[in-house]
Order: sequence, then structure tokens, then C-alpha cells
Amino acid sequence: MNVIPAFYNPVAWLVLGLIPVGIILLYFLKLKREPVEVPSTYLWSKTIEDLHVNSLLQRLRRSLLLFLQLMAVFIALIALLRPGFLGDSKRQKRTVFLLDNAASMQTVDRGKTESRFEAAKRLILERIEAMSDEDTAMLVTFSDRPETVQAFTSDRSRLRDSLESVGITNHSTDILGALKAADGLANPRRSSEIADVNDVQVADAKPADLLIFSDGGFQTVTEFNLGNLNPEYIAMGSEDVQNLAITAFSTERNGERPTEVQAFATIENFGTREVTTTATLKMNGQFLDAEAIEIPAGEQTGISFVIDSQDAASLSLTLDHEDDLAIDNVAYAGLSPMRNVSILVITPGNTPLKVGLETENTSKICTTSFFLPSYLNSDEYKKRAAEGLDDLIIYDTCSPEQMPRTNTFFIGSLPPANPVTKTSTPDSTGSPDANPETANATDDTGNGPDANGATEIANDTETAPTGDATPVAEQNWRWASPPSPVNLIDIERTHPLMRYLELFSLLIFSGRGVEGPPGTIELVGADVGSILSIAPRDGFQDMVLGFEIISRNEDGDAETNTNWYAERSWPVFLLNVMRYLAGAADTTGAPSYRPGETVRVRLENAITSPQVTRIGGTPVDVSPGPGGSLEIIETEVPGNYRVESKDKLADLFAINLFDPRESSIAVVKEIELGYQAVTSDESSVEKRQEFWRWALIAMLGLIAAEWYVYSRRVA
Amino acid sequence: MSNRQEAPLLPPSLLGRLERMELVSRKVFRGRMKGERKSKRKGQSVEFHDFRNYVPGDDLRLIDWNLYARLDQLFLKLFQEEEDLHFYALIDASESMNFGTPTKLHVAKQLAAALGYVGMCRADRVSVQALGPMGRRAPVLRGRASLWKMLDYLDDVESGHNVSLLEGVRDFSIRNSGTGVAVLISDLMDKEGYESALRMLVGRRMDVFVMHVLSPEEIDPPLRGDRRLIDVEDGDSSEITLNNHALQKYKETVTSFISGIKNFCSKRSITYLPVQTETPVETIVTKYLRQRGVVR
Repeated sequence: MNVIPAFYNPVAWLVLGLIPVGIILLYFLKLKREPVEVPSTYLWSKTIEDLHVNSLLQRLRRSLLLFLQLMAVFIALIALLRPGFLGDSKRQKRTVFLLDNAASMQTVDRGKTESRFEAAKRLILERIEAMSDEDTAMLVTFSDRPETVQAFTSDRSRLRDSLESVGITNHSTDILGALKAADGLANPRRSSEIADVNDVQVADAKPADLLIFSDGGFQTVTEFNLGNLNPEYIAMGSEDVQNLAITAFSTERNGERPTEVQAFATIENFGTREVTTTATLKMNGQFLDAEAIEIPAGEQTGISFVIDSQDAASLSLTLDHEDDLAIDNVAYAGLSPMRNVSILVITPGNTPLKVGLETENTSKICTTSFFLPSYLNSDEYKKRAAEGLDDLIIYDTCSPEQMPRTNTFFIGSLPPANPVTKTSTPDSTGSPDANPETANATDDTGNGPDANGATEIANDTETAPTGDATPVAEQNWRWASPPSPVNLIDIERTHPLMRYLELFSLLIFSGRGVEGPPGTIELVGADVGSILSIAPRDGFQDMVLGFEIISRNEDGDAETNTNWYAERSWPVFLLNVMRYLAGAADTTGAPSYRPGETVRVRLENAITSPQVTRIGGTPVDVSPGPGGSLEIIETEVPGNYRVESKDKLADLFAINLFDPRESSIAVVKEIELGYQAVTSDESSVEKRQEFWRWALIAMLGLIAAEWYVYSRRVA
Repeated sequence: MSNRQEAPLLPPSLLGRLERMELVSRKVFRGRMKGERKSKRKGQSVEFHDFRNYVPGDDLRLIDWNLYARLDQLFLKLFQEEEDLHFYALIDASESMNFGTPTKLHVAKQLAAALGYVGMCRADRVSVQALGPMGRRAPVLRGRASLWKMLDYLDDVESGHNVSLLEGVRDFSIRNSGTGVAVLISDLMDKEGYESALRMLVGRRMDVFVMHVLSPEEIDPPLRGDRRLIDVEDGDSSEITLNNHALQKYKETVTSFISGIKNFCSKRSITYLPVQTETPVETIVTKYLRQRGVVR
């Protein structure tokens, strides 16, 4: 135990030490004594004489009042010293409190009455109370994003208030941002290269204690150097936990029977004991179905339900089981009503495309219109393109003058340059010989050189004007290579458009690499560059395929440029295009997002004043951005959310935790920060117990006793 | 403080009981007048005492003629004389006696009156007097008819005559040369000491009784805290912090004071009688004094 004194000045100690002496001296001063008549002082004087023989010692020894007064002052002195218990660990003057406020900190461990988050706040508060006036501390919370709640300060009340204001979130955990926030002052960056002799250190390093209050449910941090931070990990929670979690829940309509909906859920047991319980499915708050589940510790299971519903519906799946973490016991899913997508195909003739778009499966979810490239000049097309009546327009070896207000898919051609680029970039199109396919395409479409003004070959000629390399040019789609046979190298399998595709058996006789504007994602990479890319455009998406399916020879006869149409992947790819690019995927089920994520929704242009409502919550007015895109940020609470306009459902989505890392609530005893293992050591937690309040109460009690004794004597 | 407003000195119920009592003297004194007490003198009572040879000049009436007829010698027949007893009740009327409820002086006057009345009923020569100036005009009383004279005198006795015990006793001794029973009723709180006064009484061959009157407040003072004690007799003041320790010390002093008096008295055949003012006079006289042999 170390007593932390409040006074460092010896003079203050001297003054305090003189107080008891002063009281004793006052005790010997002449008191105002009350006169009282006695028959004779004969006997009294004898008594007084006897007392005077050793009066000093007698008075000090026998005076209860003096004793009580001295005790009161002594206790008051102790209270002024502000004594307390303090651990013996080495402490810095600067402390950074990293408080985990992610979802897993909501856990209430067995035998505890407070959640891990509340326990962590209490521990931090104790640390704040234990700070001396010269200590400074900062408070950073972290979930999936860090927040510096309080910068470095020595003001304990501000720290207390900041700590009080911190709340728990439903987010996942990522500590890296918080570490970077704590890193700033402890490890100042250098102004230039380390080897530079003229380097100037921008600030002195200020070492600090890094106190991490967490349950360790985050990814191992490797790209971080602790430097002058002295980490201390205070593990919140226990290893013996009980938690059953729904880690996935989704719905999908049966393509064969549109009214039939299947709901799938994955339930995982993160606890240490086997659990037997039931899962209850509710639709729009009404009980629908239930299923018994039995999951051993550490195992997972899947359950499915079949529902009949033609309309939009909000589903919730609840585990009827009380465990340590409640948030992952309920999952939500939305079900959009069935709807068809409309696809406009501009093609000079492409049988594989036509066959692929008119299969039995695809025809159930889309309506396809085929037109020749000459349709691009018609007023009807311009109206359709301007109003965005179609969900997707496929331009097969042709290109429009202006991009339509919808998603597009270009096959063997490039989207037109935007007007700015068109005027600022000189027309450097190569000769028709050097760019035969483009020339063919433009000839077919009859748009002339203006239509492909920006579709020049970026790397075609080494003597290309410098304008090609300007940032303006890079904002447009362009060819990256001359026509040549193509060998595929890489496929972005995680993208929904590339789902279930196996493309390495394709033969492509002539193709060109494509480069898109910033934000372009390469879906298929080949030896000539990216052969299939997708890029965003004002809330829409444009996909460009770098080779034709059906090409024309010099005589104008159709030739197959690839064997893709004969592969099994072709109709699958077209189905993916319809689902994802045309938006038919929405019909399969409302998407699920994590708490706190910004949800982007595309609305029809007709909707001007939508409202977002969490089922069970209050509606919130939101205003859509240009192009009908809507950004919803009020997504903290898990649940089913509906975007409505005048009681008409526009869209719906669900917010779910679905994070096995958060659901895995067993506390991690050792975390790794920048290749440095930090072990939890709860026993070394510096805990300060304040005694001065008790000392003051004791002092008041003593003063009361002294007053009582005094009144009894005088009365 | 006047004691006229206090209880009567001798309540009527007590008077009847006192009339049946008698003062006891451990010594035989010569009296002045014929009385009911055995005297050292040979006189004319009915009680035979002795024979002696006739010498010329003796009263012929005292010759025992029967003996002369038998022995043919002249003998005188002597009889025991009966005389009165001198009883003195000396009351300390200093200011210190005016303390307590009832005051010590009042209790002293009650005791003196009671004893005096007992003496008067037995035809003794009774003198109840206060020490000091008041004592000079104290009447000598004899016979129960003098009761009212005694009570009048006692009523006039008031505190405030701060003479020391020694001076008072000396003054008494000068005025009263005879022997007898002397009862000193006092609190004995004389800063010059009580020893000289008692020695003087003993030296006068008196049968001395000391009735030491103390109030309960003096034995166990109800005082606490920081006090300035003022002596009512001489105005002397003493400052003292009255805590348990000091009070304990005071009680020890009182005990030591009383035992010192007892010791002194027993060495000189003085009967010491402690009296507390809270005890009723009837109880003191009829039980307490009787047990201690002052009356019977």
C-alpha cells in the first residue's frame, strides 16, 4: 500500500503537524470558567494541590475531550492526505484508455450483474479517480470505428463526464484505428526520411500507458508498432461462457413457384456447453413456425423454413434461449415482392445472347426487348434512355451518343466519353485499319467518328498526343491494347457477377483490354489486360466486355469470336447479369447490413419524400440524392427497416450483427499488437480505494462524541 | 439565608419522644444546683454512700446514732448528692454552614434544639449557643418551660459570623468555666483546622461530642467542567477542571478528611458523629444518637 499524499510541500506538512500542538497549548490557556460558590474551598484546595503535582500529564492522560479533539484532527489530517491503495506497477504520467464498445461487450457474464462494458467503465473510473493532478489521460472508444471521446487532459471531471457519455454499440470490433489514435503523441512521425541528415523530429515522443479494456474479440493487429506505448490489456469477461448465435439468416424466393419463399439460418454455439432450444420464426410479428435445435459446444447447424408469401414481408428468427449475449439471438430478414426486370438489348444480331436471355429461368424474372443499333437514333430510345425505364441496356458492338440513366453492359464496344472529355480531348482516333473493330462498330451503329471520339487506343501508338495521359482522359473508358487473341488469367470470383462461373476453358480469338474510369473493378483479367470490368457512374453501373461474342468479317458475315456461348457458364453469367446488374437480385430477398453501416438504396425517380422506418421504431424522413439514391445512416439497431413513401413500400433491408467474432464471447487472454503479445493480467490492475471520505465521517463522529461529552460535563 | 422559612426546628411529634429521653454523660460532673444527676459531692439524697469518723464541727444530724449505740463511737453517715448536668450545644454558624438543602445550619439548630430539650426535660442546665458573637447572649436554660426561649434564640441565629472554630471555642471557654457535656455541631471546614478547638474543649475536662454535619453535595459534588470555585466564607477562589479524575481525587480527600477527624477524636475520647443533612432529625435523634450513646 502506498499512501498518496496530497501535499508535496514540506511547509504544508509542518503547518499540519503544528495543529495538534496548537490544540494542546490552547487546552492549557485560561478558560472562561463558570464561577460556582462552594461552602469551603478547604477540601477543594487539597484536591487541587494533589492534582497540580502532576497536572500536565494528568490533563493529557485523563482528558477525554482533548483526546477526542486530537483524534478528530488526526483523522482530518489523514483525510487531507487522501490515502488510498495503489498497485505497485510502473506507471507513466500519461495514460490512454482504449474502451471496447463493440457488440460483444454487451455480454453479461455468469454470476455478474453488470455487462462487460459497464465493468470496464467502472474500472476506468477507478483509474481516473486514482490519477494525481499531474497525470493526464485520454479516452478512446473503438468498435468498427475509433472515436476519441476525450483528448489528453488532467481534468478528472472532464474525463469522468466523457466516460459517462460513452455508450455501447452494436458494431463489430476493429482496434487498429483506436491504436492509431493513441499512437499520435507517443510516437510522433518524422518530417522526412530517417536517413536524411536534415531530418527534423517534429515533436518529442511522449510515452504513455496504453490500457486496453476489451474482451479481445478483434483481429490480430500486425501493421502497427507500439513504439513508446506501454500496453496493458485488461481482459473483461470470463472464458466460461454460454452463447448461441444466429450467424446468418436469409430468404429466397423459389424461381419455380414465386409465392414460395425459403428462409435459411445458420446457428452456432459459441458457448462451452451443449444447448437444446427452439428457434421461432415470425412474419410481420406473427408466429409462423418453430424448430427444435440441439447444438454441441463449438458446433453450428443450419435450419430452413418454407413460407408462402407473395407480398413483401419482414421476418424475424428468435432463439428461445437466454444466454450471455442477447443481441445475436434475434435475426431479421426482409422479403421483397416479386417483380420483373426490364432489359433493352441493342444488337445487330447476336443469337447466343438472345438464347441466353430467353431461357426458361431468365424469362421468369425479366422482360427483354431486342432492337437494331439504328434504334439508338429513334426518339423512343432517347426517351427510354433519359427516363431510365429499363433496368439494364445491353449494347452489343455498338455505343450510344449519351449514356442512359440506367445500368449498361457493353459487349465489344466502349461507352461514349462524357461531354467534358469530348470537347477537351483532341480527336486522336487512329486509322480504321489500326482499329478495325471499333471502326466496324461505329460503322454499324452509324454514329460516325463522334460516337467513339474517346474510344481511342491508349497504348496503340507510342507517339500518341500527350492529351491521352491527362486525368480527363482517364475518366473515360478506353482500350488498353490492340486486338489480339486473349488468354484469361484471373477471375474475381467474389463478385456477385462472377458467381458460379468457370471461364478458363474459353477460347477468345480477338479481344482487347479495357481500362475504365476511377473506381473500375476488374472482373476478368487476361494477358491483354482487363477483359471484363465494371465501374460506377452516378449511382449506375457500367460493365464492359473487351471482346465480341459475334463478330463480322470483312464481308459483313457473322462469325463467332468465342466459344463462350457453348459453355455452361454463359447462361449462368447472363443470369448473374440479370440478377445483379439489372437488379433482379433484389427480388430474392432484402439485403442485410451490419449495425452502423451506411445503407445505400436506389429508389424510383417518382419517390420524392421517402421515410425510413425500423419496425417497432419511429419513421425518419430522409431526402434522396440525385438519381434517386438514398443513404441511410440511422442503422444502429438491429431490425427490419422499410423505406416507404406514402404507405407504399419502396424498399426494405435488414440490420443484423451476423459477426461470429462478436458472438464468440469467450474472453481472449492474450492479444497480439504489432507482433507483441500482451497478456491479460487482472491481478495487476491498479485499483485505488479512497479512504478520505470514511476518515471524514469518522472525524465528524468524533466531533459529535466530543460535543456530547462536553455538554454532559458543562450541563 | 434565613431558616425561618424552613421546617420547624422541633416538630410536635418529636417533642413527645424527646421528653422520654435523657442525655448521657460518660463522666460524672459537679453540678451547680440540685438536680437529678449523680454528683461527685456527698449530699442529702436518699442513696447511701459511705461512713466516716466524726470530727468536731460536723453536723450532729448526720451522726449515725444506731452505730454509736452498738460500737460506742461516733460515725457520720454520708449520702450521694444529686445535682444538675451542664449541657452545652455549640453551633458553628459560619457562612459555610449555610449550604445544602436543608442547610447545614438548620440541621445543626434542629439537633441542638432536640438535645437541649432533652436536657431541659431532665432538669439539666442547658446552654445552646452559636460560636461567635451570637453566643454571648445565649440564655442558660433549665426546665421545659424554657423551650420557647431556646427556640427564639435559635431562630435568631444566622450564618455569617465567620469566626474560626478555635476562636469560637476559646470565647465559649472563657465565658463558661464549668464542666459538662459539650456537643460541637459543625462542618469542621476551618482552614485553620479543627484540632485546636477540640483540644481546648477536651482540656476543659468536658465530655465532648462532635456532630459533623455534611450535605450530600459536599460528599459527591454534582459539578462538571471548567469551574471557578468561590469560597463563601472568605471569597477565596480556586480554578479547577472537574473531570472524573478530579472528582475522584476530591472524594478521596473527603474520605481522608473524615477519617482524620475520626482518628483524632478516638484518640481523645471524643465521640464523633457524622450527620448528613438529608437524614431527618427525628431519625438522627431517636435512632442514630441513641445507638451512639448520646441519649438514651
